[in-house]
Amino acid sequence: MTHGRRRANLMVADVLKAGGIVVLGCAVLFPIYWMGVIALTPTGFSRSLSSVFPSDVTLENFVTLFTERPMLQWLWNSIVVATLSSFLSLAFGTSCGYALSRLKFRGAGLVLILVLATQMMPATSIVVPLYILFRDFGLLDTMQGMVLGHISLVAPLAIWMAKGFFDSIPADLEGAARIDGCTRLSAYWYVALPLAMPGLAAIFIYGFVTSWHDFLFAKTLINSQSLWTAATGISSFRGEYFTLHELQMAAALTFALPVVVVFLVMQRRIVSGALSGSVR
Amino acid sequence: MTTLSHSQDGKRPGNPPGRLRRFMTEGPGFAVLMLLPALLVLGFVIGLPMIKAVILSFDTITLRRPAAAGTIGLHNYSRLLSDPDAWGAVLRSALYMLGTVAGSVSLALGAALLTHRVIRLRALARLTFLLPWTVPAVVTALVWGVMYDGNFGVINRLLDVVPFVSGHDWLIDRQTALFALIIAQVWNEFPVAYIFFLAGLHSIPEELYEAAKIDRAGAFAQFRFITLPQLRYIIAVIVILLMILGFKAFPIIFILTGGGPAGATETLTVLTYNTAFRSLDFSYSATLGILAVLVSLVLVLGYLRVMARADTGKGGAV
Repeated sequence: MTHGRRRANLMVADVLKAGGIVVLGCAVLFPIYWMGVIALTPTGFSRSLSSVFPSDVTLENFVTLFTERPMLQWLWNSIVVATLSSFLSLAFGTSCGYALSRLKFRGAGLVLILVLATQMMPATSIVVPLYILFRDFGLLDTMQGMVLGHISLVAPLAIWMAKGFFDSIPADLEGAARIDGCTRLSAYWYVALPLAMPGLAAIFIYGFVTSWHDFLFAKTLINSQSLWTAATGISSFRGEYFTLHELQMAAALTFALPVVVVFLVMQRRIVSGALSGSVR
Repeated sequence: MTTLSHSQDGKRPGNPPGRLRRFMTEGPGFAVLMLLPALLVLGFVIGLPMIKAVILSFDTITLRRPAAAGTIGLHNYSRLLSDPDAWGAVLRSALYMLGTVAGSVSLALGAALLTHRVIRLRALARLTFLLPWTVPAVVTALVWGVMYDGNFGVINRLLDVVPFVSGHDWLIDRQTALFALIIAQVWNEFPVAYIFFLAGLHSIPEELYEAAKIDRAGAFAQFRFITLPQLRYIIAVIVILLMILGFKAFPIIFILTGGGPAGATETLTVLTYNTAFRSLDFSYSATLGILAVLVSLVLVLGYLRVMARADTGKGGAV
């Protein structure tokens, strides 16, 4: 094979590769694009779209969503529940993750496996007995119950991620603080915790997103429409108003957008968090 | 050590509050202080429901027959063993896992192989394949529901262009419903695998490919004899992680079909939900939930084993 032909082959391979990326990329992005197109199409007109490009662009679906449907209320509920459940999980989970990372005690391995197992088992297994318990405790259809339910989703994740972050901080600094007379508690509070701050921020965001995305708990534990989170709110558009594709897509877009923006801002940290074994 | 001798020399060695304080900040009490809040909370929101699930599974709490409450026994478990719906659901869960794992791994590996050496527009190329991951499952379900729509869905419109293929009610036909759901799920979750594959491909030493080029190995041979063997631990981790995700899957199935048509997409998680909140048989639902927990425990143990092996072997990025 001559040198020139080899180079030509390489170029052909590059072009094929670039073509592959474009085709696959367009296919993968299409559902997101299509959500946008339908959300911007006047109500009732998406069925007569004749190409994959929008013809008549309007924001009326978003106006309808916020004026004629309680979308704002649902979004607010989601924000409240996600903030509270993520913050509380972080408050309880950080010290637990620290203990699992630094202290040698009997049963540490078991605690870790249990935490991992709870994170990985289907939430439907928890939600049915939780529903019965909350019915007895009077927590059904309340924000408090909803926050507690989401803590069961977020706390294992927070513990597991916190352990990972503390593992990555060298213990020497705390050792030095202890030689200077710090107690273990103050070494944790004044040395380890500030060092872990960026990690804790990532955990908070991860927990927030997990709660924001949740559908099952929100659907099961809440009945009143005024307490619905956005996830249950927008899913109610399917079936009930099933011909109103445009409104559905506007709602879906509104609900997905904040998380996408957060992701774009924090892309690198989230990706490394995912690699450390705490996916979803 | 310094702190220990310091306080022994100090003025208040036997002072009870001081001792308690030391116990809490230095001794075994510290571990308790650090662990207890989380364990109490987890005990309340996970431990208690699990215990309640076991109790429910021996009881007869069903709103269809309220008078039967308090009938304790193993009847839910014997019903489970001979219930074709339950085992059908297990089979559909298995199919769903198999389909999503196969689809996500091939799509993610393809995308990773295409993009990992991209130099121009690198960030854009990666973002493209990560973006579906940021889309909530609820939104994924709604979007694919609109696209699958039998009358106005864009998928049927696009297929109109292809000869000999006619429009189809993807989610209403028993033959295609599960497959259609798997595609939506794969679209939503393959980026997880994509991230792992990108990291894995980066950890393969470049010299291996250079040596192969000197031996005139073609692209396929390089993939077969270098890339795949080097990625084997990552593939194992990803497969089991995706199995766990596929087994847990709920919102996409529930919102798009609710387990229908006629149970064709009723996986174990959806059956657990429907048994409780449609048939209102909480005891049997709890029994199904326990079965699901047992299955996921097996998966978690598999995950831990694979992770341990990936750590000891040449695990690369994992």
